[in-house]
Amino acid sequence: MLTKNNSPVSKLVETLDGLAEAQAWRERRHLLDTRPLSLDEITVCLALANYYKHNQFHKKPPQTILSATTVATLFYENSTRTRTSFDLAARKLGATVVNLDVNTSSAAKGESLEDTALNLWAMGVNAIVMRHSQSGAPVDLASAVGDKIHVINAGDGWHAHPSQGLLDLYTILESLGELPSFAASGSSGKIEKRLCENTLKGKKIAIVGDITHSRVARSNLWLLKKLGAEVHMAGPPALVPETFADPEMGAVVHHRLEAAIKNANFIICLRLQLERQAQGLIAGLDEYRKQYRLDHDRIRLAASSVRILHPGPINRGVEITDALAEDPIISCILTQVENGILSRMAVLTLLLNHQNSYQLNLPNLTQAAL
Amino acid sequence: MLIKNCQPCDPNFKGDKKAELCDIRIDNGIISAIEKCGKLVIKDSETVFDGENLWLLPGFIDLHTHLRDLGQSAKEDVATGTLAAASGGYTTVVAMANTVPPIDNAAIFTKLLQIIKEKALIEVLPIACVTQNMAGSELTEMAILSQLGAVAFSDDGLPLSNLAVMRRALEQSKALGSLIVSHPEDKDLSGAGTMNESVYATAKGLAGVTTASEAACIAREIEVVRVTGAALHFAHVSASASIKLIERAKADGLPVTCDTTPHHLTLTDSEIPGYDANFKMNPPLRSKHDQDALVQALKSGVIDAIATDHAPHTMAEKEKGFNGAPCGVIGLETAFALCLERLAGESLPATERLSLLEVVRKFTTAPARILGITEPNLKVGAAANLSLFDPADHWCYNARKATSKSENSPFNGRMIKGRTVLTLWGGKVAYQHEPATSRWLAIEGLALK
Ligand SMILES: [Zn+2]
Repeated sequence: MLTKNNSPVSKLVETLDGLAEAQAWRERRHLLDTRPLSLDEITVCLALANYYKHNQFHKKPPQTILSATTVATLFYENSTRTRTSFDLAARKLGATVVNLDVNTSSAAKGESLEDTALNLWAMGVNAIVMRHSQSGAPVDLASAVGDKIHVINAGDGWHAHPSQGLLDLYTILESLGELPSFAASGSSGKIEKRLCENTLKGKKIAIVGDITHSRVARSNLWLLKKLGAEVHMAGPPALVPETFADPEMGAVVHHRLEAAIKNANFIICLRLQLERQAQGLIAGLDEYRKQYRLDHDRIRLAASSVRILHPGPINRGVEITDALAEDPIISCILTQVENGILSRMAVLTLLLNHQNSYQLNLPNLTQAAL
Repeated sequence: MLIKNCQPCDPNFKGDKKAELCDIRIDNGIISAIEKCGKLVIKDSETVFDGENLWLLPGFIDLHTHLRDLGQSAKEDVATGTLAAASGGYTTVVAMANTVPPIDNAAIFTKLLQIIKEKALIEVLPIACVTQNMAGSELTEMAILSQLGAVAFSDDGLPLSNLAVMRRALEQSKALGSLIVSHPEDKDLSGAGTMNESVYATAKGLAGVTTASEAACIAREIEVVRVTGAALHFAHVSASASIKLIERAKADGLPVTCDTTPHHLTLTDSEIPGYDANFKMNPPLRSKHDQDALVQALKSGVIDAIATDHAPHTMAEKEKGFNGAPCGVIGLETAFALCLERLAGESLPATERLSLLEVVRKFTTAPARILGITEPNLKVGAAANLSLFDPADHWCYNARKATSKSENSPFNGRMIKGRTVLTLWGGKVAYQHEPATSRWLAIEGLALK
């Protein structure tokens, strides 16, 4: 580890200031998708999350790293879980957090996203954590007002859910003992166990369920492929389009569960939205259960050390059995929730810690007095 | 008026060699003389334009313009839309009927004719709806509308999903000697799609529109043409699969024709930047494979014409996100120059390239033939619907500063080779590019140089 427990936070900030990998995040300004993240950016993010976890920052009183920062959460789609996770992550770093209730805010009165963002900026908000039902909404917002305010995508349509991708990757690497970390010696801020394109080489990871409509599946895919994993997908044809098998995406597409999970090291189980039946995309829940529900019996096909992830919230008994979701060894679901806060703390730190240097531009009184 | 020293590009010219430079005289809106350069003597009080290094083209005909106006004048009106057309070398546009309110009865058709009379800078040929309120069930009074001057019938924007309605419409249109223009799409197959079904849509998290949506509709409608023998034109064909069907229908001798658009010829689904809704249209931009098939089909003649599907929308509408924004892009200003570079330019192997005149025909004689109107030409006695085109001008298209009221173009900021510098409709100036004013050598006998 970089420093001993309870060492001053300023040391950490200093370290991050000197890291090229952290510089890349500052230049990025926004987290919109996992696809453009470099291996170095992913490495420093997960190393920082690892550092926070090791020092139990998420269970301590707030730090001061982001005490000069205000973060607004702006959710145009309900998600108590992700919103709470970002909220806690920002607070644990000392940020001021405002949670905007979109249903009663000016957005409900037809104010554009851009205007909402500009108003928040004028009020001193530094970053917007946004969830939107339309793919690309945070991308558009960042290109419109991104010079003023940081945009963190907390899920947009089917497109991306980058913080979920990072926390899932964290969970996978943690379980393999492959997490990056800061070097223990000195303040030079070296990173140990860098991620590379072979870190997950030979690992088979299955994503099961409704891939078509899943931003989680996409954000996972980009990261896992970058690290050399073999990504297999399984689900009904309407929910797992062949386009995922295009070299541009790089997954292996199956419509039978067995082929996808055979010898898999990890299985990421996705939530089945119950409205897919009404949309005619699946024939019925019973059929879905019969073909794709994960249970202890089925996953015997997978590697003996297999671990199950699920982004939540779970439709118990539909995509996964209660017993498997609660299996203390095989299921990583609660660990994901914990890692979610840590990964989001890392993301917020990397994007926002330079805000500390923001100072009021008051006239130089000393000069004026002379 | 006398235009001196220009290079005529007559679509009816048969030779391989370039026609000789010419002088052309216009009197009372009619071409009164066209002679080898230097043969026409400038008359007293004549207006003279220097056409040196310019191409003389017959005015283009656009088969597919959404001129808007009426309840959608914020997007475009007849004045701005026809100016946009003139600035792209067009002297005739066919106005689509899906206005607000739609052109589905004699009263609104008459009102539209009045607006055109007051505001149009070039010829506007209005289309009338096939069905009342474009609802796809009850036919409009096609006979009355045809008498009033409807050039064809279309519910464009929407397909006629009920084939029994399509059959009755085709029979009526055949009886009237008119034409139906089909917007070929199966709405169920398109579903909630906003771009071509492809890996690019998957990566962006956008719902796709399969090419089968277009091709399946064309296949069905061809069979109705087969039993009615009525003329049917397929608008904005975008997919390779559609071309195969139309090719076979033509080989069977069926009276089907089709067009494609400049944007489908020059852009693909892989080139949509981010979620820029100025790249959203219906049908969507397709794959490179589809685009190659369109180019080949233009060369072989399976695709008869190029039409813009000029569809203006306001910035506010286009800024509603890729899913939320309406479909459509403007295209009149850039169509010919872009297509010329794409189809006759060096990027294509010589054997696949179209000649300049082949491209010109796609904008002039081909659409005229489809509509059954006089074919544009550069002969004495023809209407002086003309444009002068500077093939050497290399310029950056700025949609905001251009002539259309809207700026929803995917070509904004693009370098374009060649531009229209002067457009005459009935011998009168409908558009002129500012720097070309220096080419006026004399105005009514008053020498300027
Ligand atoms: Zn259409």
